[in-house]
Amino acid sequence: MSTLLEVANLQISYGRRIVLRSATLTAQSGEFLALVGVNGAGKSTLLDIIAGFRKPAAGSVAIAGRNQRDWNLRELSQRVSHLPQAVHADLPYTAEQLVAMGRYPHTDRWFESDEDHSFIREAMKRTHCWEHRHRNFGSLSGGERQRVLLAACLAQNASILLLDEPSTFLDIEQQLHCFTVLREEAKTGKLCIAVTHDLNLALTHCSRVIVLADGIVAYDLPASKAHEEEAWLQLFSSRLRIGTTPAGAPWIWYQ
Amino acid sequence: MDLVSMTPHEHTTAAAGRNLILPACAFIASAVFLPWVGAGPISVARVLHHQSPDYEILVQLRITRTLLALVAGGALSLAGALFQAMLRDALATPYTLGISAGASLGAVAVIAAGWQMVWGIPATWFGALAGAFAVLTLVLGGFSRRREISAFSLLLTGIAVNSVCAACIIILGGYAGMSRTFSIARWLIGSVDSTSFTSLGVLSVVVLVLAVLILSQARSWNLLAVGDQWAASRGVHVPALLRTGYLAGSVLVAGAIALTGPIGFVGLIVPHLVRSKISPDHRLLLPSVFLFGGALLAACDAVGRIVLPPAEIPAGAVLALIGGPYLVWAIRQRRPSEEM
Repeated sequence: MSTLLEVANLQISYGRRIVLRSATLTAQSGEFLALVGVNGAGKSTLLDIIAGFRKPAAGSVAIAGRNQRDWNLRELSQRVSHLPQAVHADLPYTAEQLVAMGRYPHTDRWFESDEDHSFIREAMKRTHCWEHRHRNFGSLSGGERQRVLLAACLAQNASILLLDEPSTFLDIEQQLHCFTVLREEAKTGKLCIAVTHDLNLALTHCSRVIVLADGIVAYDLPASKAHEEEAWLQLFSSRLRIGTTPAGAPWIWYQ
Repeated sequence: MDLVSMTPHEHTTAAAGRNLILPACAFIASAVFLPWVGAGPISVARVLHHQSPDYEILVQLRITRTLLALVAGGALSLAGALFQAMLRDALATPYTLGISAGASLGAVAVIAAGWQMVWGIPATWFGALAGAFAVLTLVLGGFSRRREISAFSLLLTGIAVNSVCAACIIILGGYAGMSRTFSIARWLIGSVDSTSFTSLGVLSVVVLVLAVLILSQARSWNLLAVGDQWAASRGVHVPALLRTGYLAGSVLVAGAIALTGPIGFVGLIVPHLVRSKISPDHRLLLPSVFLFGGALLAACDAVGRIVLPPAEIPAGAVLALIGGPYLVWAIRQRRPSEEM
C-alpha cells in the first residue's frame, strides 16, 4: 500500500462561519474511507478541496506524493474523480453519454475509442445500469440516476474516488451493491472516500471511519474496531448505541 | 461495412456521419435553390446570359440575401446552443442574458446618429459589438468580483438589462427624427436584406473562425452542460471555457444581428429540435444547429418574399410567428423540476 492522499491542516470558512479549522488526514491505496459527521460538519467541503474545486485558506493537499497545485487539471482528473450529490438534468443526455464523459481526461480523440467504450460498458454493467444506456438521464428514477453517475466515476478510472453521498436515492439492495462495488474498487488498489449518513453501511463496508466535527478530524477509527469506543457516536445523537453482530462486526442501533 | 462487424468506435463515427447528412443537405439546398424564390420569377436562361434585370436580381440581391441568412441564422443558432450549454437551460439564449439587447441598443444608437458605413462595413456592426461587449462586461464583471457566476443570477440580471436597453431604445427613437425612427423600427423587427459582398465576407470570416473555435471545444461544452464541478473534475478549466464561450457567443450574436436586426427565435427553436431529434452531444449538435439554423432563416426569408407580393414580410416576423407558438409548446413539454 502506498500513500495516495495527504491532507494537512486544512482551513476554510464561509463568511464568518469556520467550516474546517485544521483538518488532517492521510490515506493509502486500497482503503475505503467513510467520511461521516452531522450536517454542516464540512464533509462535502473537504471532498471539494481534495477534488480541487475550492481553495482552502490554509493547509495543503498532496495527491500521490505531489502537491495538488502542481498537477495540471488534466493530470489531476486522471487521478481523482468526484461524484457530486446531484447533477442538473435539463439537457437530454442519454445515460451512456453521461458515463462516456468519464473518459474525457484520458483521450483527445473526437469520439471515444474502443478501449473507452469497454471502460464505459464495464462500469455501467457493474453499477447495473447498462440496460438503461439509451434512456434519457432525466427520465431515470433517482436511484437509476445515481447508479449512472457512479458508473461515470468508475469509467474515469481514477486512483482516488471521492463520492458525495453515493447511496442517496438508492433502495437498500442497491445501497449494499453500491458500497460493495466501492469496496471492490478499493481492493484493486484504489482509494475510495464516501460521504454517508448511514453509519451501519459505513461500518460494514469501509475500512476506516473518519468523523468530522468542530472543523477537525475528531475521530479516525478502523471500522472493525469502532465498537471499542462509544464517544464518537455521541457527536451524532445521545440515543445511539453500538455493539457487534453475531459475526463480530460493529453495529449501531438507536433507542 | 457490415453494422454487426463494426467496433463501437466505428459505429459511433458512422452514426455521426449519417446524422450530419440531413443538416448539410438542408444548408446546401437552401443556398442553391432559395435565391430563385421570390415575388417575380427569374429566368435561368437570362441569368446564364447575364441579362438584366434577372441577372442583377439574382446575383446582387437574392444571393447575398440568402447567404446572409445562412451565415446569420447559423451564427445565431450556434450562439443559442452555446448559451444553453453555459447556462444549463434548454430555453436560454443570448436574449435571456441581455447580450442581444445590448447589441440592439448599440446598433440603434448608430442608426439614430445617422452613421451608415465605416470602411465599407455597416456602422451598425461596430455599434452592436460595442453594445454587446458593454453588457457582457457589466454583467460578467459584476459577478466576477464575487468570484462566482450563478446561471440563475445571470438570467435575472438579463431581465434587468433587457428592460434598461428597451427603455434606452425607446428614448433614442424619440429623439432620432421621423425617418431614422422608421429605420430603427424596421431594423428592430429583424430582416434579411441584400448586403454588400464586403460585409458578407467579413461576417462569414468572423463566424467561420468562431464556429471552428466553439466546435473544437465540443467535448468540453458537453461536460459544462451537466455542471461546473462535473466539468472541473474531468479536467476542464471552467472559468477559461466560460470566458471563451461568452466572448465568442457575444461576437457571433452582435455580428449577425448588426446586419439583420434582432432575430430571436432561431437560437431557440433549432437547438431545441436538434437536441431532441438528432443528439444533445455537442460534437453533433453544434454543426447541426449551424447548418439547420442557416437553412431555417433563409427559408423564413424566402417565405416572407412570396406570401404577400409585392410586399415583403421580414424574416424576423415570419420566424416570430413560428417561434412564439413553438416556445409556448416547448415550455409546456418541460417537467416541473426543469422550470427552476
